[in-house]
This record gives sequence, C-alpha cells and structure tokens, in this order.
Amino acid sequence: MNSSSLLTPSSSSSPHLQSPATFDHDDFLHQIFSSTPWPSSVLDDAPPPTSDCAAVTGFHHHDADSRNQITMIPLSHNHHNDALFNGFSTGSLPFHLPHGSGGQTQSQATASTTTGGTTVQPQTKPKVRARRGQATDPHSIAERLRRERIAERMKSLQELVPNGNKTDKASMLDEIIDYVKFLQLQVKVLSMSRLGGAASVSSQISEDAGGSHENTSSSGEAKMTEHQVAKLMEEDMGSAMQYLQGKGLCLMPISLATTISTATCPSRNPFVKDTGVPLSPNLSTTTVANGNGSSLVTVKDAPSVSKP
Amino acid sequence: MASADKLINTYVPEKDVFALHFLQSLSNLRTQNPLNSPDKSIDRVRKIKKAAYVSMARAAGGTSRLWSRALLRRAAKDDNKSVRFSRRKRKVTWKISSKRKRSNQRAPVVEEAAERLRNLVPGGGGMETSKLMEETAHYIKCLSMQVKVMQCLVDGLSPK
Repeated sequence: MNSSSLLTPSSSSSPHLQSPATFDHDDFLHQIFSSTPWPSSVLDDAPPPTSDCAAVTGFHHHDADSRNQITMIPLSHNHHNDALFNGFSTGSLPFHLPHGSGGQTQSQATASTTTGGTTVQPQTKPKVRARRGQATDPHSIAERLRRERIAERMKSLQELVPNGNKTDKASMLDEIIDYVKFLQLQVKVLSMSRLGGAASVSSQISEDAGGSHENTSSSGEAKMTEHQVAKLMEEDMGSAMQYLQGKGLCLMPISLATTISTATCPSRNPFVKDTGVPLSPNLSTTTVANGNGSSLVTVKDAPSVSKP
Repeated sequence: MASADKLINTYVPEKDVFALHFLQSLSNLRTQNPLNSPDKSIDRVRKIKKAAYVSMARAAGGTSRLWSRALLRRAAKDDNKSVRFSRRKRKVTWKISSKRKRSNQRAPVVEEAAERLRNLVPGGGGMETSKLMEETAHYIKCLSMQVKVMQCLVDGLSPK
C-alpha cells in the first residue's frame, strides 16, 4: 500500500460516494463513511454553497476530483467532521492528508493549502478575503456595504421616477427631488381646483413664489406682474421672458389663447380669468396690453395633470 | 439584483383604499364646517390639502411607515380636533449612527441630495440615507396614488 498514492478518479462503484474503484481500502472507507451521516448534498457534483468551500469549487475542475472532495468536505460541514477525523487519524491513511500535523481546526485550515505534493494549490484562503485592491478593514467593508445599499435603493427609485434613464447619480437624485416636489405641488393644485376659481389658484401659486397679500381677487398681484413685465419688455425681451418663466408664466399671442379657450370651451369669455379650461384645469390667463399695440396674453399653467 | 425590490418592502394599497380615506376625510370636513362656510377660500384650500395628506398617510401605512407617522404627528400638533393620533410608546427613528459621524467619507454628492430630500419628505430629519431613500420610494408611490385619486374625483365631479 503506497502511502503517497493518490486516488485516481473513476466512476463510482458505490452508490454512496464517488469513491474510485481502484482504491485499495474500500472497506476502510466504507467503515468511515458509514459511521457518520454523510451529507447527501455533498455527494452531488454541485459544490456546496458555503464560502469555505471556495477551495472545493476550485478543485472540481481538477483531475483528482474525488480525492479532493473527500479532503474538502470536512471544511464545509463541520458538524459531521468529528467521526471522520477520528477515523482518518486513527486509521492508516492511504493518501496523503495533513491531519498528522495537528488538531482538527488546524487541519481544516491547512487542508486546503497542503493536500499533496502534486496537486494544485488552492488560490483562496478559507477566511473572507476582499477583492484585489480593496482593504479588508471593517470600516471600509461597512462603508462598501452601505454604498451598495444606497445604490440598490437608488435603482428602485429610478424605476419609479419618470425619465429615470439618467446614468449619472447626481442628475438622478435631482430628478427624484424634482419629482417629489412636483407631486406635492400636484396635490396642492388639485385640492384647490374645484374651489374658488382663479383667485385662489393664482394667489396660491404666487404665494409660493414669495409673498402675497390676502386678496379675494388677485388682480392686484396680476397688475404688479404686468407692470413689471412691461417694464422689462422695454429694456430687453430676454429678461422679460426669464422673469415670466421664473413665475411660471409664458407669453403667447392673444389670438392663440383665444383659439385654445374657445376650442375647448366655447361658452367662456377668453378675456376673463378662468381656471376652468378643461384642457388643463389650472390655466389662468391675463391679458397685457403691450406698447406695440398687439396685446399679449400670459398664460399661467400649473402642472397640468393628464388624464390617466 | 433584480430581486432587490422584494427585499425592500414598498407595498402600497390599491386606489380604493386611498379614495375611501380621502372621501371620509372630506365628509368630515363638511360636517365640521356647516354649509354657510364663513372662511375664505384659501383656508378651505389649506384644509382640503391637509385632509388629503392625512388621509394619504392613513391609507398608506398608518403608523407603520416613518413618513406617515411624522406627517400625522405634525398634523395632530396643529389642531387636535380633526386628527386623532396616538403617540407610540417607544419613539422609533432610524437615527444616524452616532458611532460614525465622519460625514466626509460619505459621498458628498449623495449627502447634499439627501439633505434636500430630508426637507421634502416628512420625517426625514432623523434618518440614515439608505432608510431615507426607502421612505422616499414609498412616499412617491403613495403620492402618485393620491394624485390619481384626486384627479379622478375632479374629473368625475366637473360639469361637462
């Protein structure tokens, strides 16, 4: 009996384990294996799913498969080990096992590293090892975990927010924030839509822009805006547009505004402030007499809610 | 990590739950303030908006969600008549771990956005960033559901 003979892989004769048929000590093996409840999952070709068995998976591609299975198994299923190790240590070992060097835990640790002279050394140690280039410092591990968690949540948020195809994290976060603001504004606008007409709508909207006076009619506020816009228009059209945009208004020729309002609701007087244009229920119009002679209409458009 | 969303619990009930709560709160408002309605439209608007938020918070998770709890607490603080809210025995928050306050290490881009989110989402003041984003996801879902409900109401009740 050659102590350094290695088991050669071959088809298993015993249904219990993939022990090679050429093994001399069948009876010895049978004695050992019958003494302990052999975990059935181990017998499969699939590697056991624990981190300790990274060595096992590495060995599966190796030629001396079955032998390494026998070697590696104690690593993963520790609770089954005791009888095995006793058997191994007491019996005469036909194959080269490092059990002679020490106790159980040490053999567990070293089993993966020294399994025989001619076998390929395992690439990974049994303990948790970080990827190349990253520290195993517990703080940075926790940091990494936290970052992963945040990225995970951001991905789920990305699916919720429309226009969430931005790959950049910063712009994605901006989108999320804008969407939350937008939804809150929608709730606010919808809660006032059927209630008091233009007055409450425009005064509420201007309230957000910073300060308004308690008016049942917002004509005062509108006049202020008009004067401001007229003044700006005299200097520079661009700044006037920007000012309006900041307030959430836009300019359009009056003919277009009348067309829109008459097209959707012919009974309404287009020159009167109204919020009830069914197209977008929160539209209010203000006419501004321009110095050029043509009158422009500023259209205040709250975020229009599309029908579901 | 396609299954990651299953791990994070973002369950939002159906539209009817929201609708039910909202209509109940509206009818409560109506009984509270009988038909002469002396208050101005702005106050009415504010009341409706608050009723909308409170009903959303109740429908969405009651007190089992952080943002809903903070919302209800905030509403109950203002006026105790309309909102019934019982305090929890044990104050549950997801505190920023005081062990590691080295905020420099956290990505500053994410952190400033998280600050802005904290101001928007109710109850966001005491949460870690990861928990905050979870709450934001649920909040967004509930908000969109509430908006749908209100829009349906408006459409249904508007004269044609």
